[in-house]
Amino acid sequence: MIPAAEFVGVTQAYGDFLAVDNLDLTIEEGKLTTLLGPSGCGKTTSLRMLAGYARPTAGKILIGGEDATALPPEKRGLGMVFQSYALFPHLTVADNVGYGLKLRKVPAAERKARVTEALELVGLGHLAARKPKALSGGQQQRVALARAIAIRPKLLLLDEPLSNLDARLRVQMRAEIRRIQAETGLTVVLVTHDQDEALEMSDTMVLMRAGKVMQTGAPDEVFPAPANRFVAEFLGYENFIPTAEGLFTVRPEQLQIASADATTPGLNLDGVITSSAYRGVDLVVGVDASAPGGETVPLISVLRRDALPAGHTGFTPGERISVTAPAPALVHLSE
Amino acid sequence: MSMIKTNNARPVLGTLAVLGYIIMIVPILFVVSTAFSTGRTVSFPPKGFTLDWFGAALGNNTFMSSLGQSLQLALIATVIALAIGVPATIAMHRGKIPGKSLVQGLFLSPLVVPELVVGLALYQQIMVVLGQSNSIALLIGHTAILLPYAVRVTGASLALADPAIEEAARGLGASPLRAFFTVTLPLLRPGIFSAALLSFVTSFNNVPLSLLLQDRSFRTLPVTMLDYIQQNYDPTIAAMSTLLLAATVVVAIIAERTVGFAKIFGGINK
Repeated sequence: MIPAAEFVGVTQAYGDFLAVDNLDLTIEEGKLTTLLGPSGCGKTTSLRMLAGYARPTAGKILIGGEDATALPPEKRGLGMVFQSYALFPHLTVADNVGYGLKLRKVPAAERKARVTEALELVGLGHLAARKPKALSGGQQQRVALARAIAIRPKLLLLDEPLSNLDARLRVQMRAEIRRIQAETGLTVVLVTHDQDEALEMSDTMVLMRAGKVMQTGAPDEVFPAPANRFVAEFLGYENFIPTAEGLFTVRPEQLQIASADATTPGLNLDGVITSSAYRGVDLVVGVDASAPGGETVPLISVLRRDALPAGHTGFTPGERISVTAPAPALVHLSE
Repeated sequence: MSMIKTNNARPVLGTLAVLGYIIMIVPILFVVSTAFSTGRTVSFPPKGFTLDWFGAALGNNTFMSSLGQSLQLALIATVIALAIGVPATIAMHRGKIPGKSLVQGLFLSPLVVPELVVGLALYQQIMVVLGQSNSIALLIGHTAILLPYAVRVTGASLALADPAIEEAARGLGASPLRAFFTVTLPLLRPGIFSAALLSFVTSFNNVPLSLLLQDRSFRTLPVTMLDYIQQNYDPTIAAMSTLLLAATVVVAIIAERTVGFAKIFGGINK
């Protein structure tokens, strides 16, 4: 099958700075692909090049197998949702959603039907006559989504669409966008810096750093097996332990602390408590541990308080303990 | 009522506000009241009541012809200033122009260069060297002093507009021209309207430039009124001023009713 879109050796340079550096990436048809990374990693620039708002310095962009590198945005037929929503403030919700259809000379009756259909898909059928200013942020977000979907785009591009919403709404909208994607069968490219969002929503996640792809794969492939320290850190692995066999990482929730010699199979290290803090259901404990090479590494362990022995209120800084990274939780970083 | 409350709450601010209004309004009341006076000179308090001076003002051919020329000049200069200034502003905000700040400075320079200097330069170059009529020189001069308003005011409303809005229109299938006319221009409309209003008033009221470039064939109303007042001191001049004031009030009411001041001047200080 022809991929929905492809980046072939795409570079975006601003002077000496490479925002995107020789990017090769395939966007599969009907899937939700997430470009994930910290700010400045090139994810938004890549999306803007795909949409046609930025021209690559080098390389090619294919849409539906055809070279689209030189096409202006209006000739690409893609639907884009901007971080700021970018609704037309002088038009009603219905006219916003119908804007692209009007340009495509869709007859009025069909246009109306498709506007209604798109608005109902996002659950805003009843607000068609309002002006954008009269809507909440979440509703504006949905209008922007409906406007992009109404033109039946080849791809739906979402640039940090949830970052302006409050935390609860953001979580709701993740499921909402997945539902819309499933109902429409659209190919979606989502840009985000939020790893939870990417893990929850993606079919494929693409981790980027400094204009380069660090790792690509399904969330359940990438999360348990980060390819390198950067990916591991970005996904919330906080403990890095150098050993003779290479660098290992373990998540804070899986690092165990025992006051006696540990017996769990895995990596057992001697350590000294540096901090111990109450965090509701958890206890957050800092440890200076001696790595197998003799080096002292700072580690963090998040312990569930209900799993501690009765009466245990925390550790005292200076207390000597042993920490264990159990074998199944240990991830070897190959790069 | 609410104003009185505010004054009570902030006595110093309230007093200053009232003082400001007095300073602005009292001279106007003075002029308006003398326009109805039966006295032969502009004097206060006015004596009696008559509308004769209005007849005299409206019947004064010099006033009426220069009024027509002033309106014509203000209108054409405003249109030209907007036609140059609005696209230039958009180019400066959105485009990648080399030496952007230099170009911007150039457009705003008529604000800082004394108008007499501009007038003298135009007199030298357009009238003496190129041998053009004073109406051409006036038009060029007025357009030049209006450009800063066109650039500044539309620029302010453009700076507030999210550039992604135009990109969104492009993404939905609009050509750059189409996106400009269906999205950018409607967003700029209040800004352009306020720029036009300010430009028109600035041109219509201008004295220094018009004074330097006047001749018998084309002279503006403010210059004519200045000339008149040097020769005569009868209330005709007060009547003419009152008429102008009334016209301004009508324009202001129309502007308020159609677009709304908040929106017009929202273009400047939102």
